[in-house]
Amino acid sequence: MKKSAYRRLSLLRLSLLFFLAIGSLATAAAFDFKPYRRGDFAQIVGAHAGRPLILHYWSVACPACVAELGQWGKLIGERKDIDIIFINTDDEGDRARAVARLEKSSLLEAVHYGFADSFSEKLYYETDKNWRGELPFTALIAPNRPRVTVTGAVTDPAFIAWLASVKP
Amino acid sequence: MIKYLTIIVLSSVLTLQCATAQEALAQVSPASETTNKTHQGKHAAPACADPKPDCAITTYPSFDQKGRLWLAFSVGKSIYVAASSDQGKSFATPVTIATIADGVIDAHGDARPKIIALADGTLLASYTTRPDKLMIGTIYTARSNDGGKSFTLPQAMLTDGGQRFDAYVVSPKGRLYAGWLDKTHAMRAKAEGKEFLGSGVAFAWSDDNGKSFSGKNILMDHACECCRMSSALDRDGQPVFAWRQIFDGEIRDHYVAKLSANGAKLTGGRVSDDDWAINSCPHQGPALAIDRQGSWHVAWFTKGKNRQGLFFASSRDKGKTFSSPEKLGDDTHAPAFATLLATKNKLYRSWKEFDGTITTIPIQTSRDGGKHWTAPEIIAQTADASDNPILVAHDNIAYLSWVTHKEGYRLLPLQAAKDKSASR
Repeated sequence: MKKSAYRRLSLLRLSLLFFLAIGSLATAAAFDFKPYRRGDFAQIVGAHAGRPLILHYWSVACPACVAELGQWGKLIGERKDIDIIFINTDDEGDRARAVARLEKSSLLEAVHYGFADSFSEKLYYETDKNWRGELPFTALIAPNRPRVTVTGAVTDPAFIAWLASVKP
Repeated sequence: MIKYLTIIVLSSVLTLQCATAQEALAQVSPASETTNKTHQGKHAAPACADPKPDCAITTYPSFDQKGRLWLAFSVGKSIYVAASSDQGKSFATPVTIATIADGVIDAHGDARPKIIALADGTLLASYTTRPDKLMIGTIYTARSNDGGKSFTLPQAMLTDGGQRFDAYVVSPKGRLYAGWLDKTHAMRAKAEGKEFLGSGVAFAWSDDNGKSFSGKNILMDHACECCRMSSALDRDGQPVFAWRQIFDGEIRDHYVAKLSANGAKLTGGRVSDDDWAINSCPHQGPALAIDRQGSWHVAWFTKGKNRQGLFFASSRDKGKTFSSPEKLGDDTHAPAFATLLATKNKLYRSWKEFDGTITTIPIQTSRDGGKHWTAPEIIAQTADASDNPILVAHDNIAYLSWVTHKEGYRLLPLQAAKDKSASR
């Protein structure tokens, strides 16, 4: 191969790297978590009245949460009958990391909220008055059924049973 | 060349357009979800952004020999230390320990910058940072030999692996012990494609007031990686540490152990069989105190099959056995984040409760090593965000150290509460 061909190949590689770097930065910068503040739990539940709804709370500081994000992506694909909303509980400083995790799990197109209220006890209480912030945490809401909350992974028997119970 | 630059510019434009489309997709949702939303994606602005304890989310207290209160805290991307000579009513201008360019400072819930005032006047500050892309930390320490006027450049406890949740305790001979949760073995296992639960439990000590640490070693594996460690000093001058351990079957219960004199061995036991089999992060580690009689006292949170809530138990045989777990607080108010303190003659326990509107800090006192307690008395409250409570002592007087969003930092002596309880 001639030197000029090598140069062209190197420039092409550089272009590709630049493309990837800019793409990654642009994705992180463009993605917004909807702010989740006190009162928002009731508002979201009200907005989805009449349909099964899952609110899934997660954090990048929770290895179990991160490990199962891929399974959530699968669930979204399989259960179009359920509205699934993700709520990230991290501080602002961890949000870029959260976006990267969502991107890796192909979850960026889902609906995402992020804690935007430092009164975390209030946010926990509105979802479940016995919740102290342990994660992953999931609220399962369906018409004419008692609300269920689950601490732990998507493999939790209570979670699986609920999914089966709301199957159309 | 111009051709390639054109490709680069076009690539960037295309990427930005893709990102914009992605943003639009990310915002698809029921109409009511977008109503009255700013889409800023940012946390609510803090009460203030000044470098002072009132603006911190978490604080960590330590009294020096002269009775000055020292606080370590972070605001924004900086870690500070500030001193108060009037028991927390006012603070001198804070000293900046470090300002980080990238990554995140561990300063939320169980994780926070710390300060230890040593007997010779040395101050040791510590903090943990996490890089942007990895969920591992680096623990840094910085020292002051001029009464807190200046601190040394922070030095990493370890430069590889991954460390978080450090805890310190000083022996009567002046040896400074450190314990932390260490991801080194977990990272090694991951690189080899093997499964590994949790973190290692690591220790080290310093005989030069934190200038250097010796004996850095992981002595146990599989601690729950997202909960703090606690430490206390036993009667023989050896340190004892408590943490949430992952037992067989992903059971996240608690373990307490004493570090041997040569730093090579842990001796202790399981606090209780709560049977919390869960693949989750409780984000709530145990509290530990050791009284003058050498009894080990532990408080912890669990949602196990055998019990759920906040609990307390004591061991009078160095962790071999523990008393039956005693429930703390009002279960309807989600009691959490317990703190314990042993002074010369008394044992204190405190925690946080929330009724949906008000967060309260109840406290109880025991004069017989935790067998009997005064009725819980609420000594502080707030109606907005707040840190977890920390009990701290100086000159045999116990204090509550607490920072809240609305009221700022407060240090409350427990003497009044104690006398009131005792007179009932």
